Amino acid sequence: MNILIVEDESRIAKRIERMTRDIFGDALQSLKHINTLPEALKFIENSSLDLVLLDLNLNGDNGFNLLRTAVSESFHTIVISAYKDQAITAFEYGVLDFVPKPFNRDRLEQALNRTITKEKAENNKIKLLAIKKRGRIQLIPIEDVLYIKGAGAYTELFLANGKKELHDKSLEKLEQLLSSSFERIHKSYLVKMSEITKISVASGSKYMAELKNGEHIPIGRTKYKDIKAKWL
Amino acid sequence: MNLRSLSYFLLVSTVLLVTSCSQSPVFKRHKTVFQIGDQQEWAAKDLNDQYWEKGKPIVLGGQIYWFRTPIDILKASESLHPYGIQLDVYGEYEVFWDGVLIGKNGNPGQEAVLPPEGKMWATFSIPTHLTEEGQHVLAIRSSLYYFPDHSGIWGLEMDYYDDLLNDRLIESSYMHLFAGAFLIASIYFLFLFLSDKKEYATLIFSISCFLFFTLILAEFIKAYMPIHYSMHIIRLRIIGLLMLGISFLIPFYFSMQFPFPKRKLLLTIYTGVLLFFFLSKYLFELTANNMALSMWLFSFGIVVFGVYKKMKGARLVLLTILLSVPIGFVTPFNKSLFAGFSLILLGMFYLLSLRIKEQRLAYENSLVQSTRLRLELLKKNIQPHFLMNTLTSLIDWVEESPKKGVLFIEALAKEFDLFNQIENQTLISIVQEIALCRTHLEIMEYRKEINYFWEEEGINPEEKIPPGIFHTLLENGITHSLPLEDNSITFKLIFESNNGYKCYTFLTFAAAVRQKANHKKEGTGLKYIKARLTESYHSNWDFTSEPTNTGWKNTLKIYS
Repeated sequence: MNILIVEDESRIAKRIERMTRDIFGDALQSLKHINTLPEALKFIENSSLDLVLLDLNLNGDNGFNLLRTAVSESFHTIVISAYKDQAITAFEYGVLDFVPKPFNRDRLEQALNRTITKEKAENNKIKLLAIKKRGRIQLIPIEDVLYIKGAGAYTELFLANGKKELHDKSLEKLEQLLSSSFERIHKSYLVKMSEITKISVASGSKYMAELKNGEHIPIGRTKYKDIKAKWL
Repeated sequence: MNLRSLSYFLLVSTVLLVTSCSQSPVFKRHKTVFQIGDQQEWAAKDLNDQYWEKGKPIVLGGQIYWFRTPIDILKASESLHPYGIQLDVYGEYEVFWDGVLIGKNGNPGQEAVLPPEGKMWATFSIPTHLTEEGQHVLAIRSSLYYFPDHSGIWGLEMDYYDDLLNDRLIESSYMHLFAGAFLIASIYFLFLFLSDKKEYATLIFSISCFLFFTLILAEFIKAYMPIHYSMHIIRLRIIGLLMLGISFLIPFYFSMQFPFPKRKLLLTIYTGVLLFFFLSKYLFELTANNMALSMWLFSFGIVVFGVYKKMKGARLVLLTILLSVPIGFVTPFNKSLFAGFSLILLGMFYLLSLRIKEQRLAYENSLVQSTRLRLELLKKNIQPHFLMNTLTSLIDWVEESPKKGVLFIEALAKEFDLFNQIENQTLISIVQEIALCRTHLEIMEYRKEINYFWEEEGINPEEKIPPGIFHTLLENGITHSLPLEDNSITFKLIFESNNGYKCYTFLTFAAAVRQKANHKKEGTGLKYIKARLTESYHSNWDFTSEPTNTGWKNTLKIYS
């Protein structure tokens, strides 16, 4: 596990660091603390990370710029902030959790556990997926996404307008974030349930889901029963 | 509401004034002829007076002279309802109508020996049998001891005797009501001025109203107070003085409301013009006329300038000034004067009400602003960034090192205590402000684990400062700077003063002070500082904030 803590309050950063080490134990490979925004952006660009713990108010700067960059990356982001009213916006951007200050070990552990257990985030507030396109961050509304296809370490978003966009997060991570409206119907597919119009059995006992736009997406053999029940 | 009732009153009065002049006369007056000397026959109706003098003679030494005026009666009077004749004549005299003595006003020819008797405006009843339709003769036997050059008839009016007396009383009672309104306005605005002695416009308006009140009184006093012709000059002088005062004050008032360039010079020239008219020995009405005219022209000029510059209220005032012109043409001079003046005074009244409204709004705004600033000061300690970060650090200290945690809590308690002491004040001692800054640094040391140092130079403990100004600068300094290599940041407050101003310099010594991303947007902290300074010092302050090689520099100058 490679973790970055972005926090300008030294005492709080040390607290997070201490607790994180404690919680992850040997699973932790590296832990880095940075207290300014430009340094943090630079570090994210050049390192491979699994988790970023982010304070949204750094030296009087609005951390939402950093947040947009962070959520477009392959890693999960957990926001630790004094401003509870920023929680909704943070969730809309697709953070894994929002830990309000002041926090105790239990609350931090609960958040960190989500990254280990792949526990599905109770996040039905996510509204946007941030993607990197020609070096810039672009925000795609979740309602425009029909289904997502895993493509190795990254994913492909299939949009309502027929376009296809790449996202840096893995299918597993997006499944965690999008659990409220999307279902993993196949090991390579995450589909918005409301888009499925028909579930059929094709020759060779292949299960297929038909979407509103006429596309057919395979349903995993083991998942079929479950999906059908949920869809009905 | 006062304004509305006044304007109704004005309307009614104007209508009355205009209608009173529009009745068709019952008589036609011919030319007056004069003869110095005294013969009782000269009273006769059918005397041949064609060789009498046509021009007004100068009658010296109180000697007797006669003058005769043929008058045509156009409509015979009704029985039981006699005609009367109202005269405005200098001197003491006897009045003959068609040879019959109908009245006596003083003792002609005996003025030098007897005390003054008789009045300037006298009304005489004419027996009904002498007021048939056709030609009649008014003959007056008079002496003119005090003003030998004021011979002849200055005013003559004929109508039903009762009407002549009543109309004058009615007219003057209306005018006195009217005057009363201005008296009340004058007193009201005087009190308003006394409660706020900086508002000279209110005082000038009050004086103008009072002068106008006395002017009306002086003009209409003749209806009920007998004045001997020798004293009449005093009344005219009073009226002249009042006119001078009003003619100066009205444009002066407008010049205050609609300021224009070279105000003093133009006002001085204008005063000169007024004084020239006042002191020149013309007829009273001409003098008054000239003064009224110059007043009108000058005011008009000022208000037009106001309209040109789009000043508030100028348009309506211009309208009232323009409206006074047609009224001046329709009505005889002494009435147009009052109608015109009152219109202009109404315009001034309107301006004053506008200003009072503006002041009230400004005052309400300042109250709101003060409350807002007070809340902002209070908010400093409960805004989430400060409070939640502090509490998180505090929990950590308590968990890891309880003794230090206690010290941290004490520092926090002290800052809250200091805030409680100052939260409702607009100026606090600089000592309190510095104490606040030092406690804040203590707290921030626990949070940031940076060594903060506070230095001061030349601080005068007697000085006062709006609360939270340096505290805000300190907060900004902490937020935006990174520590030096030895993990320290130093803040320094320097005070200097001289005759012109007091100057505080607040320096931050730090490694890298982050440049503000955009200078256009002003942080809430700076807004707070500027609003506090304006609240206490209006515009007599100057604040600059700039980066230096060693950190940041804020300079605050307060001018005395």
